[in-house]
Amino acid sequence: MKPIITFARWGNYTIAFKTLFEQLGLEVIPPEKTNSQTIAEGAKIAPEMYCFPMKVTLGNYLPALKKGANTIFMVQNVGGSCRQRYYGVIQEKVLKEAGHNINFLDFRATPKDIYSAIKKISNASFWQIIKAGRFFFKKLRLIEKMEKMAQYYRPREIEKRMTDKILTEGLSKLEELKKEKDFPKLKREILKRLSEIKIEVNKDLPKVGLIGEIYTVCDPSINFEVESKLGKEGIEVHREMDITYHLKKLILPWKDWIIQRKINPYLRSTVGGHGRDAIYEMLHYIKEDFDGVIHLLPFGCMPEITVRPILEKIHQESGIPFLSLSLDEQTAEAGIDTRLEAFIDVVKNYHKNKKL
Amino acid sequence: MTIGIPRALIYWKQPHFWETFFENLGFKVLLSPSTNKEIVEMGVKVADPETCFSNKVYWGHLLWLDEKCDLIFVPRLKANKEKLEYCPKFFGLPDLAKILVKTPILTETFDERKEKFEKTLERLGKKLKTTTLPPPTKEEIKKAAKIASLKDYNPPATLPAEGWAPKERQDFFKKIQTKKPKIILISHPYNLYDDYVNLRIKEKLEKLGAEAIFVDEIPISVNQRTNQRESAVSIKFHWEFGKEIMEKIREILDMSKFRNFELAGAIEISSFACGCDAVIKEFVEKEFKQNKIPFLYLMIDEQTGEAGIQTRLEAFMDTI
Repeated sequence: MKPIITFARWGNYTIAFKTLFEQLGLEVIPPEKTNSQTIAEGAKIAPEMYCFPMKVTLGNYLPALKKGANTIFMVQNVGGSCRQRYYGVIQEKVLKEAGHNINFLDFRATPKDIYSAIKKISNASFWQIIKAGRFFFKKLRLIEKMEKMAQYYRPREIEKRMTDKILTEGLSKLEELKKEKDFPKLKREILKRLSEIKIEVNKDLPKVGLIGEIYTVCDPSINFEVESKLGKEGIEVHREMDITYHLKKLILPWKDWIIQRKINPYLRSTVGGHGRDAIYEMLHYIKEDFDGVIHLLPFGCMPEITVRPILEKIHQESGIPFLSLSLDEQTAEAGIDTRLEAFIDVVKNYHKNKKL
Repeated sequence: MTIGIPRALIYWKQPHFWETFFENLGFKVLLSPSTNKEIVEMGVKVADPETCFSNKVYWGHLLWLDEKCDLIFVPRLKANKEKLEYCPKFFGLPDLAKILVKTPILTETFDERKEKFEKTLERLGKKLKTTTLPPPTKEEIKKAAKIASLKDYNPPATLPAEGWAPKERQDFFKKIQTKKPKIILISHPYNLYDDYVNLRIKEKLEKLGAEAIFVDEIPISVNQRTNQRESAVSIKFHWEFGKEIMEKIREILDMSKFRNFELAGAIEISSFACGCDAVIKEFVEKEFKQNKIPFLYLMIDEQTGEAGIQTRLEAFMDTI
């Protein structure tokens, strides 16, 4: 059986993952874009009380499997003590019970394991794997840079929706790019177009930090485009959590130690996932004089639920506006919008009163 | 000095160990009463709405103890002897407790991947300094821990009688020899032994004419057949309770074959929003389905009514 790969979808980063597998000479059918239908399909076959990202990624596989994919890539043990490490086993079990004949590749997130898993499936040479990895990181860094720039330009743009338009165009061009040697040219072009957006400079804007569980924070189709919505309302959004941040923490173990030292008055242990990081980021945003913090989490996420009372305590002590949104398959966009609108008013008032 | 111990959640992992330990070091121990309606209501009011029911009950016990004692003992359990982890929600308990109650919290991190249990106890002992008494010496701690881990230790009269011996092990082998339909109850100790939380499910089953076997009563045999047995469900949990539950289920399924008794059914009790149970349930269910044993999954929370559980149990008993 020739392996046809599909993998877990993760916001805009899906593009980079797709490239990685393609560069290894594998046939790839990318997972379906997240929409209400894929979410419903995934939730139907997933265990009821499981966390939301697992149901979403499961729903994304299904259309790809229908199109002919037969091998699924999944990384386990990304979240330390949390349930993420059982995503692979549960998804494999659920899919097999639903009658899909698939080969499930579930490997640990260490460079060695990833390398041997890739080697086994693709027969690519060492050099080819290194090259594919390099291209993957180039794309990934560019996507993250584009997202960061968009966060800056969105609230300042003169022509409304211009940033989102250019961002989407750039991402689709990046997705189509197959050869590494064309990359620098495209990169220059995308960054140039982004920086040519007409903006109001020296605009005094309220700033909001986005914290919480990495998957919900990074994937705009899961969090109902919180970043873009806030941006259009004239709020500058900041977010530290992305894949590079996560990888840095994997490679540089002292990062955890630094974070732990900063949050010692509030929490003296890891709680799995990115629980500690949420507290650290919130403290950081308060120090940087932000005007609000939004906490995003999937319903029932164990680490984030554990730290939420602590975040609420920090919110009470510092007075910074705080909104915690938990998302699952039953969350409606209108409900989130209403809460966001109310929160935006609070943030703007807070920003105004601070200057008085 | 009085040390308060909430009788919920982690207490049931090692019932009577901690109160005996502190009692033998010469401290007064105040154990919160068995879970009741007021405690649950108090807990639910302050808890995060999305946290699991067992945690909410724990907050209730903490609030009951608040300002009734000088210290409240909330250990941070991280890993056990086999280097397997506890539920990640236990990791943050002392920090969350500090936010909740005014009484100072006595805590120590128990991580046997890094440090032996006895060593951690010594560090805990150093924190027990009072104005009048010096901290207990190493020998005193060793002795107290030894007495506390004795199974047939007679509680002193100073401890409330009803806090004792809920885990009284009835003879497991006597149970499996009865003619009554045998039902195995699967859950965490804090659901199995807390009668308010599990709505006296054992009593209810016995009234319906069944013999209830708790999953942790099953002895693990010495020759470790479980390791050799080809199990259709192959999963390795990094959670101590996950491993224990799966091992014991396999053990009793094995035993039912070579000791010739029949398991009539299995019931798993899970607290609402328990993240770990969402994983474990999948494999427990599969194990029973493969052996064609009826399986019932009951979710409990602060709104579960007795009548609802009764109806479901009656229906389940009719199917077997």
